[in-house]
Order: sequence, then C-alpha cells, then structure tokens
Amino acid sequence: MSQQILKVRPTKIELVNLKRRLSLSVRVQKIVKDRLSILTMEFLQAAREAVEAREKLIKDFDAAYKALSVASGYHGYIALEKEMVVAGTGLKVDTGLRNIAGVRVPSFEMAERKREVQAYSMVDTSSLVDEAGRLFEECLKSVAGLAEAQRRLELLGTEINRSKRTANALEHIIIPGLRVTISYLKMKFEERDREEKGRLKRVKMLVARE
Amino acid sequence: MVAGIRYEKLLQECLKEELRIVNSGMPQSRKKLSELLCEARPYVPCHDGSKHFFKKQEIAYLAELLDVSEREALLLPVIIMLEVGKGTMLIPCGEGVVEEKIISHILSMPVACDGGIIRLYRPQLAVIRKILKTTTQYAFSYSSGVVGI
Repeated sequence: MSQQILKVRPTKIELVNLKRRLSLSVRVQKIVKDRLSILTMEFLQAAREAVEAREKLIKDFDAAYKALSVASGYHGYIALEKEMVVAGTGLKVDTGLRNIAGVRVPSFEMAERKREVQAYSMVDTSSLVDEAGRLFEECLKSVAGLAEAQRRLELLGTEINRSKRTANALEHIIIPGLRVTISYLKMKFEERDREEKGRLKRVKMLVARE
Repeated sequence: MVAGIRYEKLLQECLKEELRIVNSGMPQSRKKLSELLCEARPYVPCHDGSKHFFKKQEIAYLAELLDVSEREALLLPVIIMLEVGKGTMLIPCGEGVVEEKIISHILSMPVACDGGIIRLYRPQLAVIRKILKTTTQYAFSYSSGVVGI
C-alpha cells in the first residue's frame, strides 16, 4: 500500500519533529501491542469464568428450587408463604473497582452475613425451609459472580477492540506515513545540496572566466 | 495545512493518552497484608485518583498461606512488571521470600528469586492471575522506569 506523504514544510526543524513523532509512535505501538496481548489473555480468562459462573448459577438455582419444592410440598404453599413474608433480611453486596492494564472493571462480593436467628417460626417450619433458604443465598452469590464476570468480559472486549484499532492505525498508517515523509524530506534536502553545489561550481567558473 | 497540523496535534494527544492509560491504575502506595486484614473494605489509592479494591477472599487466601511475620512483609498489590518489547514478565520483590513462597504455592513448583526479581512465563502468569485477581497489578515498563507516570 502506497503511503501518503504528510503535508509539511520542507525544513530541518520539521524533520526533527517528524523523527521525534516517529520514535513516540514506535514506542506507543510496542506498548499497545503488549497491552493488547495482556488484555486478550485476561479476556479469555474472563470468558472461561463467565461460562463457569453461568453453569454454577444454573446448578445452584436448580438445587434451590428443588429444595423449595420439597419444603413447600411438606408444609404447603400457603403456610410456607406466610412464614416467608416475615423472613426477609437485608443483603449486602460490596462493590468496588479494580484495574486490569488500564481497564477499570467492577468487582462484586457478597458481604459475609452471620447466621442470625431465623425470623420465621421454629415450631411451624422444618430444616427443609432452612436448607432452601441456605441454597437461595448461594444462588445470590452466584448471581454476583456472574454479573462481575459478564461485565468484565464486556469491558475487556470493548477495550480490546479499541486497542486493536489503535495498533492497526499505528502499524499501517501512522508509522509508514511518518517514515515516507522523513525519507521524502531527506531526499529533498539532498536535492537542495546538489543544486547548491552545482550553483557554486557555476559561480566559481564565471569568476574564473572573468 | 492548518487541518493537517490540527490532526497531527490530535494524534499526538491520542498517543500520549495511550501512554497515560496503561499505568493509570498503579497504586500510589502499597499496604501490608496484616493492615488489609484489619480493614472492612480493603483498598489502595491509585495514581489516577481511583481506588483499587481487594477481594476479601483473596486476602484471606494469602493470610492462610503465610504466618504472622510473613503477613507483615508482604506488600499488596503484588506488581507484575511487563518489559515492553521484550515480552518478559517480572515480579520485583525486595528479599522476595514471601512472594517466592506464594508464587511457588500457586504454581505448585519451585520459583527462583534472582536478584530481587522473580521471572515468569506467560502460562504461569495466567495461572497466577486466575487466583490472585485483585491482589496483583500489571505495570508496563519501558527499559528505564515505568511508563506514563
């Protein structure tokens, strides 16, 4: 692909500036490439984790609904619902951000809750209800885990796309363009030198003839 | 010509921004594991003003591996230095005994701390990052010093 020569004034200062720009671009290209490889590694890791989290979530919900079904079968829907109305407790999710090679991703963690005395009646319920409650708490942990993995995957994917565009632009447009312009300016200066030498020779000849 | 100059300036800004982004999440200061264990929401402040939060599970995992004196010696997050262009990954550590112990345990193989530096291969890095997601941090270095800060 032929590269377009940048529109610059053919001066030595411009050449120095272009060389400086080229060194910066090469440096940035190396960094962007290394960062891209790290982000790709993290992305693959995140993808694996997202799949695992999804599978875990499905398993957990499966187990929890089975336990709930058994409990409701034992106690009856109406009695169970009556007990559950008073059993609601606040859940806390610790949220924060962390940085992966310049990408800020959220992190969610279910705050550890001490097992409190159950709000529902201990006389009218059985261990089946306790078990169902415990399994649903596990489900919430899985939901937090999946949300984190999924969001991380999205953010890393977006950043990889952006970095790839930058790396491609540097590799195929900016750096070749700068190189071509530098070589064009160098040729221009050499041409000027040759013209200057020719002119001097001509002047010398004229002076000698007189 | 004016449009070209403007474009060039914009380009330079973009490139400088790239340099700034890569190490924006570097911690201003690192904290001891023993300190983090006492905090309700363990975090370290970063250079860009944001906070890097640690997962309690990871901190508890590290605390399990180390005894009380070693917890005092371990500074978090552990920095994984990437040498730009060379593709090598290093963990700079002072005496390196604690870091060496953790990395060896995670990789299930002995790791040598040579001159205060633990060298890692890419597959090893993936294993470490899988377990220590929040307690490790990347830093991009360019021959002399860390870039972008």
